[in-house]
Amino acid sequence: MCDTCGCQLHEHHQHDTKVVEVNKSLLEANQKQAHSNRHHIEKMGALAINMISSPGSGKTTLLERTIEALKDTVKIGVIEGDIETERDADRIRAKGIPAVQLTTGGACHLDAPMVHGGLHVLEHFAKGEGFDLIFIENVGNLVCPSTFDLGEHRRVILLSVPEGSDKPAKYPSTFRGADLVLITKMDLLPHFDFSVEEAEIETHTLKPDVPIIELSSTTGDGFEQWIDYLKEMLKK
Amino acid sequence: MHELSLAQSLLDQLVTLAREHQAEHVTRISVTIGPFSGIVRDSFEFGFNILKDAQPLTKDAVLVVETPDPVYTCLDCNKVSVIPFVQPGEATEMNLGGGYPKKCPWCCQNRLSPKGGTELILNQVEME
Repeated sequence: MCDTCGCQLHEHHQHDTKVVEVNKSLLEANQKQAHSNRHHIEKMGALAINMISSPGSGKTTLLERTIEALKDTVKIGVIEGDIETERDADRIRAKGIPAVQLTTGGACHLDAPMVHGGLHVLEHFAKGEGFDLIFIENVGNLVCPSTFDLGEHRRVILLSVPEGSDKPAKYPSTFRGADLVLITKMDLLPHFDFSVEEAEIETHTLKPDVPIIELSSTTGDGFEQWIDYLKEMLKK
Repeated sequence: MHELSLAQSLLDQLVTLAREHQAEHVTRISVTIGPFSGIVRDSFEFGFNILKDAQPLTKDAVLVVETPDPVYTCLDCNKVSVIPFVQPGEATEMNLGGGYPKKCPWCCQNRLSPKGGTELILNQVEME
């Protein structure tokens, strides 16, 4: 119906109204940048993993231990996302691995343009040698990071035992986007009311075929499976 | 979550489109927000209506938001069904009964896997 005169027909008179069909995602700018990031990462010879979880679920500790296990055979680079401080990047650098700290200054997630900047700095560290594997540790948050493709090849979601096994059901968009779910801090299982079965059922309801690995960065239990996952991924 | 910045990116896009089409006012915009997009319709509309006043080009724009109902695939019987969200304050059997999980209308099992619905799309813009 015509809003100006209320008529049912459009032919009998003209307003200067133009209707433009757009049909584009509002996230298109991010998606384009993510696509170009992916290309950039591949040109560096690497694959990238976007790590998403709540604050304090053990992303940086997992990375430290992963670096120890792989650094002799795999060239690793790390992009750290936090609202403030260089602390996480410093922990990674202490392991002898190049790390770029992105401080968002308040933003609750990383987006593709931020990662673009980080990749250029990381490339500078590589001194022309490139990387095999780049970890992007997202800002600790189970909500917002899920919307933003960063140009990663795999998205790994961490769920730690103290958080509770109801998290997948409560934060569905994040767990739906997972290529792998890691249940971390498994050494704390005797002290918390966490049901591995519930976490698995809820996760598989959201994404039926997603692999789940249970591990502890403190004791090293289950770590082999995670390292195998990474090696398998790098082979392809 | 970040509705305000998404509303801002919509307005930026409208300004670009209006320039391309030499329009002076954007009068109506239609947007689709998917049920699993994680974007809250009310916050998005609120943000848009505040930000649109910043420039004459968009200040009279009316935002029309379409929110398709969520679609699920049942992991037990494989059938697809549309099951609307329970709105806050809506009294239904589901939320009066202590919020037991929704069930597949075909086989009554509760392993319903969300299907699609993560989109945020600018469909159509009317300008003059």
